[in-house]
Amino acid sequence: MNKYEVIYIIDTAMEEGARKELIQKFADLIAANGGAVEKVDEWGKRRLAYAIDYKVEGYYVLMQFTAGPDVPKELQRNLQINENVIRSQVVKLLQKKSSVKPRPVRAPFAAPAVEAPVAAPVQEAAPAAPAAEEAPAASQEAPAAAPAEA
Amino acid sequence: MSEDRAVRRPRGRKPRRKVCSFCVDKIEYIDYKDVNRLRRFTNERGKILPRRMSGNCAKHQRQLSEAIKRARAIALMPYTVD
Repeated sequence: MNKYEVIYIIDTAMEEGARKELIQKFADLIAANGGAVEKVDEWGKRRLAYAIDYKVEGYYVLMQFTAGPDVPKELQRNLQINENVIRSQVVKLLQKKSSVKPRPVRAPFAAPAVEAPVAAPVQEAAPAAPAAEEAPAASQEAPAAAPAEA
Repeated sequence: MSEDRAVRRPRGRKPRRKVCSFCVDKIEYIDYKDVNRLRRFTNERGKILPRRMSGNCAKHQRQLSEAIKRARAIALMPYTVD
């Protein structure tokens, strides 16, 4: 059994329900082949570094799983067949060393871009409005601001 | 004055010891998803910087190039910027 990580990009034109199903389908596929899915991390919509099939955005999904050596091949095959998957990549994780950087990826994208504009309004509005109202507003702003910045 | 001196010693540039930033940060596995870090080792055209510019040690430079190529394949980083 080895640890693997698969990252794939789903077409943003896909409906949310269908997308959820698709993600579940790949998770089931791993399980059906004797693997164990450890983590499913949906990055959400992200701008692609370059256009793929004239698409500039994609919905990134990251999965980590433990499985035998023939599972990645089967998974890759299925990912490539599916038309809604724009691109995919299966990577074997190094057993001992990967713990050094658990997940430095997402925070840098959202945090530096968003914190500056959001911080100011929160402080101004905080005395007037209850804090509970402020929190969801900030989190809604975050995904909207991040792509624009990128 | 300082310019004159630079001209006078064509070979005598002060060798500045470059240190591998990954060794300094004690990173044992360079993650292809860490785009912000990887981007520092590409030039503005998206090319991978050579070791003589990045100052990386051989081990980390190999890992770095692998990580950048993986990031490119999944469209996290560009192959070229023009």
